Amino acid sequence: MNELNVVFFASLKETLGIEQYVFAGHLPMTVKELKMQLAKLLKNGDALLDKGIQSSIDFEFARDGNIVNEGAKEVAFFPPVTGG
Amino acid sequence: MIKVQQEEFDVQALYDDLVVNSNTGAVAMFVGLVRHFSSLPSQDCTFELEHYPGMTEHNLQTIVEDACSRWSLNAVTVVHRVGKLAVQDKIVFVGVSASHRAEAFQACDFIMDYLKSRAAFWKKETQGNESKWVDAKEQDEESLSRWE
Repeated sequence: MNELNVVFFASLKETLGIEQYVFAGHLPMTVKELKMQLAKLLKNGDALLDKGIQSSIDFEFARDGNIVNEGAKEVAFFPPVTGG
Repeated sequence: MIKVQQEEFDVQALYDDLVVNSNTGAVAMFVGLVRHFSSLPSQDCTFELEHYPGMTEHNLQTIVEDACSRWSLNAVTVVHRVGKLAVQDKIVFVGVSASHRAEAFQACDFIMDYLKSRAAFWKKETQGNESKWVDAKEQDEESLSRWE
């Protein structure tokens, strides 16, 4: 069993009502698998499955098919970025 | 130099820092401001920028390194504000110095294009009691194809 810090930003953070969650589960798994599990675990978790929700693994942008390895420290989920 | 900060920045001071040596023949700068986004008076509007500490700085570093690998540049400065801002406040500064203008213009344009779509910032607009997260624009993503 691994522990992984998961953080949320912007509108997704508000919809879920939390900014951080410690996920306990067996890594490795894909970003999509993690998202599916979190969607079941969290209140309003379906928001994670909205088209356009982006992710990162340890500060690198990631896609649904990317692997969250055992050594990963933090995964983030967020809507498309809008800086500048 | 890359900075993510709440404080206002001084454009003149940032310009001065970009003129690093006698090889500098061009400085291109971009400053982004908070537009008046509502029909309500400016004083009833607020604007907020959220970021992902650690990732945002990493994203900006990657973008600047990419620019430096594409063009011969003397110095690059990116300052992006976060937190609560008001209409007409400065949001972002991108400055590039180079020997010639073409490199400076292109690198500045490139950095802004990538900053819009590849740096972890999110904007929220509030008009009176109503708040709304700003949606990403498709054209921002499309702009990246210019650099491929």
